Amino acid sequence: MVFSSDARWEMVDAITRQTVTYGTYKHTLGDVLGDLTVKPLTGIPVAFAALYAFWSVFTSFAGTLMTDGFMVKFFDGFWLPWMQSVWPDPASWHYFLFVGNPAADTCFEAFGMLTSGLFVSIGVVLPAVLVFYLMMTLLEDSGYLPRLAVLMDSVLHRIGLHGYAIVPIILGLGCNVPAVTATRILETKKQRFIMMTLLALFIPCGAQLGIMMSVLPDLVGIVMLCLIVGFCIFGFVLNKVIPGENPEILVDVPRYHWPVKEYVAKKLWNRTKGFLKEAVPFVLFGILVVNLLYLGGVIQGLANLLEPVFVTWFGVPKETVGPLIAAFLRKDLAIAQLSTIPMTTYQMVASVVLVTIYFPCVATFVVMLREGWKELIAAIVVLFVVVFIYGGIIHGIGILLGVA
Amino acid sequence: MEQNESKEQNEQKITLIGIYVALLGLVTLAFGIADILVWAGIRPGIQVGILAIAGDDFFRWAWGGFIMICAGLFMLAGSTRVATLQQSAKVVLGGVLVWLIAGTDIFARLCVAIPADVASPAFFNSLSGFLAAFAPPYTPAVLLFPFTLGILYLIWIHDTDDS
Repeated sequence: MVFSSDARWEMVDAITRQTVTYGTYKHTLGDVLGDLTVKPLTGIPVAFAALYAFWSVFTSFAGTLMTDGFMVKFFDGFWLPWMQSVWPDPASWHYFLFVGNPAADTCFEAFGMLTSGLFVSIGVVLPAVLVFYLMMTLLEDSGYLPRLAVLMDSVLHRIGLHGYAIVPIILGLGCNVPAVTATRILETKKQRFIMMTLLALFIPCGAQLGIMMSVLPDLVGIVMLCLIVGFCIFGFVLNKVIPGENPEILVDVPRYHWPVKEYVAKKLWNRTKGFLKEAVPFVLFGILVVNLLYLGGVIQGLANLLEPVFVTWFGVPKETVGPLIAAFLRKDLAIAQLSTIPMTTYQMVASVVLVTIYFPCVATFVVMLREGWKELIAAIVVLFVVVFIYGGIIHGIGILLGVA
Repeated sequence: MEQNESKEQNEQKITLIGIYVALLGLVTLAFGIADILVWAGIRPGIQVGILAIAGDDFFRWAWGGFIMICAGLFMLAGSTRVATLQQSAKVVLGGVLVWLIAGTDIFARLCVAIPADVASPAFFNSLSGFLAAFAPPYTPAVLLFPFTLGILYLIWIHDTDDS
């Protein structure tokens, strides 16, 4: 059946009459609120308030309620003593691998695969990741995230990115794996490279944040400050050094709306499931590998070999070599390990910053490799240079302040 | 005729609700400044009746205080011709900021109240222990929270206009 041009137009008119409503659009309160949250004068305080609420809910739920309120009590009071009592032969190698230190009072100190491994992944990191993704999904589904992108556009242009780079940055605060994939929303190779490198260097994941909050709550602010300063400085430098374009973007900003609970639940489940599948095995495997390296004397050997760099250049004890090796498997695990090494406040801050900016964890490494091996190699070269320079700068500042 | 009356009402520079919003804005602004001053150590922690400003933590009192200052300024900026859409939006935005701070304060108390004390062998708090966690003193944002609910009236009048 063939329609003439007139018949087709008549059909278009008929559909239009039935589907399109004509009238004058009336500005609503929601529209004006939407406009106010993208204007810098009113939008920046709102962004500060959103971040405040985000962080406050995160620390209250993950830190106070779940980890300190229930998990520490369960793992230190019941799980660890039970494991220590039922596992045979505390002097054996298998006890060291799976239960850890027989004299330990807490799961952080024990460092066995079934004690610290389960405590870190289920007791500390899971609540942190769960509440992080819930807050992130609410921001996304309410329509606030695109507004934050518009607001951040001019700031992020200074480091070669654009407003939508806020998506991988915020995702990276949950887990760097989806964040690296999210760098695809950036247009040019230059932008993707800068974003990937900065993610690997200066964005601590939710797991790391959860552990930091648990083992060094008073120092999280200083560590984050060091990372933010490093993010801005090295972003600016990379933007100047790397050739390429930073095109402008056109952002489609939707109206504010209440998130649909079914979608929120589905997103939350998918993201948390991804964490459980990818991170938990890495934590357990990571502890196993580190304990094997300890048993084989490899960590001790490396610590002796790298002592001049660590002690002289970074100003941290040589024992931090072990956690740095663990950091390649899981950074949260490395910070948990750092908390058991006797250190001054400066050394703790410096070593946590080093663990964060040092090599990306293996899961992130694999995803970066998927994005292109040339970019990965370039990112790793930049990474080593930055770790060396920034680690030295922090040590220098520590010496000047008289704390290192 | 009715439309003109409503337009006149909207354009009235000072109204009763406008005065209420301005006072609320002033108090919010004062509380925000007090939060920061106490945090900065100008005065040690303040407790007056059921109001307490501990000022012991940068995040809660300096950052939170800055948000309270912004909330107060938004309310003050929107207090004249408050019934107009633009001005109402500023006031609502100020109210939302106070609700965020108060909401997170109440949530933090809830998170402390649910689990039992560290020394206790039980996992969950007793009912009396749970309720005791919500006893006074309160932060300025929590105390302001019921007064900011008056802002819902502005949302309601604009919602009615839309429908």
